[in-house]
Amino acid sequence: MPAIEVIGLRKTYRRAFRQGHEALRGVDLSVPEGSAFGLIGPNGAGKTTFIKSILGIVQPTEGTVRVLGGSPEDPSIRARIGYLPERLHLPGSWVAPTFLATVASLKGQKPDKAANLRLLERVGLADALGRRIGGYSKGMRQRLGLAAALLGNPALLILDEPTDGIDPMGRVEVRRLLQEEVQRGTTLFLNSHLLAETERLCDRVAILGDGKVLREGRLEELARGGARWAVRFAPGADAGALAGAGFTAAEGSEGLYHVEAADAAGLNAALDKARAAGALLVELKRDGQDLEAVLASAMGVAA
Amino acid sequence: MSGVLGIAGYVLREAASRKFILAFLLGVTGVLVTLSLSLRIEVVDGALAASRLFGEVIDTDIRALDVALKPVFMAAAAVVFYGGILFGIVSCSDFAPSLLSPGRIEHLLALPLRRWHILAGTFVGVMTLAVFGALYGSVGLVLIFGVKTGYWTVGPVIAALLACVSFAAVYAVMLTTATLIRSAALCAALGGITLVGGIIAGFRTKIAPFIEEGLSRELFKGVTLMLPRLSSLAKAGMDLAASTPLGVQSLPMLLMGVFVFGLGVLAVGFWWFEGRDY
Repeated sequence: MPAIEVIGLRKTYRRAFRQGHEALRGVDLSVPEGSAFGLIGPNGAGKTTFIKSILGIVQPTEGTVRVLGGSPEDPSIRARIGYLPERLHLPGSWVAPTFLATVASLKGQKPDKAANLRLLERVGLADALGRRIGGYSKGMRQRLGLAAALLGNPALLILDEPTDGIDPMGRVEVRRLLQEEVQRGTTLFLNSHLLAETERLCDRVAILGDGKVLREGRLEELARGGARWAVRFAPGADAGALAGAGFTAAEGSEGLYHVEAADAAGLNAALDKARAAGALLVELKRDGQDLEAVLASAMGVAA
Repeated sequence: MSGVLGIAGYVLREAASRKFILAFLLGVTGVLVTLSLSLRIEVVDGALAASRLFGEVIDTDIRALDVALKPVFMAAAAVVFYGGILFGIVSCSDFAPSLLSPGRIEHLLALPLRRWHILAGTFVGVMTLAVFGALYGSVGLVLIFGVKTGYWTVGPVIAALLACVSFAAVYAVMLTTATLIRSAALCAALGGITLVGGIIAGFRTKIAPFIEEGLSRELFKGVTLMLPRLSSLAKAGMDLAASTPLGVQSLPMLLMGVFVFGLGVLAVGFWWFEGRDY
């Protein structure tokens, strides 16, 4: 059963005396249970509207949305979802444990002070328990929002820009925490403009542009670099012999060659031939597109 | 129901962290403490023989105690009614807009709550605050005068509760306004207009003859017919506080009018909120 299943989702924001705005134009998407799914796209692509639609915050104009096997309108379904909005507004005069206790009670959970404190420690707020939220930095607020989303071990985590405002070291911590959640079996649905982060965390990605899903699939499939490798040899390698072994020289970079290999055995056979011809291997990497290039090419398709 | 109470608790926690609400409670406490320490009343055979305020003798004739205390309780009821509603309008105007603010409402709507829980919880939270404040002041006043004179009456407490009923109608307008336009200033303004309209509505039969006969008078009568008659309720509260016969014809009908008005306005707010995107 998919964690999120969306069919033909359309959303038009209607405004009095003005033309409506079509934010989503027939989105079909299925997010497998237990996966780490990234949603990327340019500003105004409809990412936040999509997230709000799958939470029932925005009511679709057309189409069906099923989350964890039920309707997002059903509170018992939402009880199993942890959500961090893009711009979480927190009560400034409260302290973090009070906020967390309140959210836990609104989620219908039994009061558990110790568990809440452990969660705050886990997101790195152990030193700020007595401080008012109003005095928190943006990163600390994000961490608190993340703690609120993690309350009650949700089956689905929907995070809208979770590391916004968090420093690089903090991002590493948050990433580790989210990876732990995914390992635990939680489905992660991530919307982040930090493509490198999406690339590191997610195994599946959808690109949203102009209110439609432009591409969707496993990261490797989208990057299309499965069969092509970039190889760098030490200077002095015999170009003729390398060409005979299947290597093609890259233009403008000395010692850099490309080779096509369907699997590890094919790759190693080609490398063995090159080494036998006296070439010394210094660098080997998959010659795929990164997510930024995938996004750029997908948006080119959209244009 | 737990969702409604949870949101009410959220609102009360928010209120507890606001300085001006704490200042108001401290102010009421200060008035009660000052009154209890500075006022000395001597009662002889059920009559007010002499009274001193801050050590100064208050020059009054010897009168029966209940008669002497009538103007005090009437004034207190009027202050609680109009002052309380005015303070409520100002102090509670941004609870709903704050709860509906971007970044907070999305978070609340994603929690396992029904949409109506959020509005109902806000209403219950604010009314709990109003009832607590009104009871705190009125019970304190009754206790002070009761202990000092031996004259016990629940009139001021009932008057304070009537003020709360009236505030409920005013806050229903403020809450519904917040669902339409998220602005604390607009909520306060419409709350104030409802209060003024409610005062005028209480005098509608007396004011109507001063308006030119015809469409304008009928219009005035029509509009004021829809409004809760808050000044009549205030008068009833003052009469009850002073234990005098009610000047209004039917208190239950007045209360029913306020109830229907509040419920009608809230229904509009709930309906709009259910279908709104955030």
